[in-house]
Amino acid sequence: MSTFWHILIWACVIWYSTITIYVAVRGAFDIRSMLGRLRDGENKREEES
Amino acid sequence: MSHFSWLVDGSIVGLYLLGTMVAGLWVRKYVHRVEDFLVAGREMNLYLGIASLAATEFGIITCMYTAQAGYTQGFAGATPGLCQAAAMFVIGVTGFCVKPLRASGAMTLPELFEKRFGQRIRWLSGVVIVLGGLLNMGVFLKIGGDFLCAVCGFDPAYLTLMMGALLLMVCIYTIMGGMLSVLVTDFLQFVVMSVGLLVVTVMILWQVGWDRLVDAVQVHHGEGGFNPLANPTMGWSFLIFQILGNTAATLTWQTTIARLLSAKDAETGQRIYSRTSFFFVCRWMIPGLWGIAALAMLPAGAVGGDTLAAMPKFLSTFLPIGLMGLLVAAMLAADMSTDSSYMLSWGSVIYNDILAPFRKSKWTDRRAIRWNRCIVALIGVYLFVFGLLYKIEGNIWSYLLLTGSIYLSSMSVLLVSCCYWKRANNWGAMGAILLGAVVPMLHLTLEKIPSTAEWAASIGKDVPGIAAFVAAALGMIVGSLIKPKETSAP
Repeated sequence: MSTFWHILIWACVIWYSTITIYVAVRGAFDIRSMLGRLRDGENKREEES
Repeated sequence: MSHFSWLVDGSIVGLYLLGTMVAGLWVRKYVHRVEDFLVAGREMNLYLGIASLAATEFGIITCMYTAQAGYTQGFAGATPGLCQAAAMFVIGVTGFCVKPLRASGAMTLPELFEKRFGQRIRWLSGVVIVLGGLLNMGVFLKIGGDFLCAVCGFDPAYLTLMMGALLLMVCIYTIMGGMLSVLVTDFLQFVVMSVGLLVVTVMILWQVGWDRLVDAVQVHHGEGGFNPLANPTMGWSFLIFQILGNTAATLTWQTTIARLLSAKDAETGQRIYSRTSFFFVCRWMIPGLWGIAALAMLPAGAVGGDTLAAMPKFLSTFLPIGLMGLLVAAMLAADMSTDSSYMLSWGSVIYNDILAPFRKSKWTDRRAIRWNRCIVALIGVYLFVFGLLYKIEGNIWSYLLLTGSIYLSSMSVLLVSCCYWKRANNWGAMGAILLGAVVPMLHLTLEKIPSTAEWAASIGKDVPGIAAFVAAALGMIVGSLIKPKETSAP
């Protein structure tokens, strides 16, 4: 049974390290595009009003 | 004696706090409408969603109770994480309930329920969600303060001051920027928290060693430390409650579904669920390993009865200067992201659902945002007061799951019925809400009455938790079936 937990802890360390790097990079782009869309939406509403 | 150095570790922590506050306050200029404040204008993309969900669902409280589970139950203590990961993956892949929920365009669960069960059920659902959520969240701040005092070696007399300072910082950026500030700070906090968690874990595996960890579990817990069904403190009732509770939390926990509802579409929401699912295994395994390391390394009698303090006590002398700063920054990041999201989530239900009947006409965005800010501030005051007054007893995770069951049981039954059972109606919804809330609240009350405390403790928290789900389901079925069918006008 300890082998199962040994594999699981290393799977956690490897998966989490990979996800951290990947999400750190892609998430930064997501923030930029989200703020861009919010700014554009607000400009559009101001123009319409 | 703690290894925390004010010069080196304090500088790392200060730098992190400064970065978070600047980022949190900077995005407030993008908040123009109440939708921007509550659900980030529904513009959140996949990776930001993953970072935010992971950061929100991991606070100091999480680290403390999962480490406590590791210390007191060994590797088997991580079982709830496996249950939650499985639930999240299956729901994310199939879209069970979450697909129709996101497609409805609702900002909260009660808003969806109003369409099916009427305005009264929406209001009552809001009350139950807020009651369960705030009771659950009430202990976060104190546990966070306890951890920081233990790890940094501060005098516990400064606990109130630390709790207040931590809360004030979180309140400032959450009140100013709402969900937008929460998302951006969550992202930073995810990165800091993850680096801290990984570095400490690798260091434990490297310096303590796997064999010593396994030996400690074998000596203290035997087979029950590896297999939950062989553990006398767990067993089948524990497992069933974990499966029910974690599935319900995935479907209805306001902070979790807030990410689904902030996603730009249902498909993105589902992908956030399925791709974040394995994080919930890490969420239990990583701090659980820290708890097991405390079991292996601390001398007998160092912990006494306070198993919650074992992990911070171990880390305070295990980590060198520099890494202590990284650990404290990581834990502050974890705690701040959780507190801010939770305050905003419960606040959104108070504004959107509990106050809904009092808004006779549509409020302007400015007025709505002002109200939301006041609600978040009031939740902050409640957290501070509750954290000082309430004394938590026994296993923290069991307390959290039981207080969560006050609404998890009924809301999950309502959600499933709302999406998939045509005969479900407002009588059934009312029955589910009342019966689902009564059982856990009764148990929590009996625990506090001296004459019944021993009896309540002997039952444990798993059976009342399962009973809450059964009662809520029965309430829905019986209530819906006994309501006379409405006859259409000739």
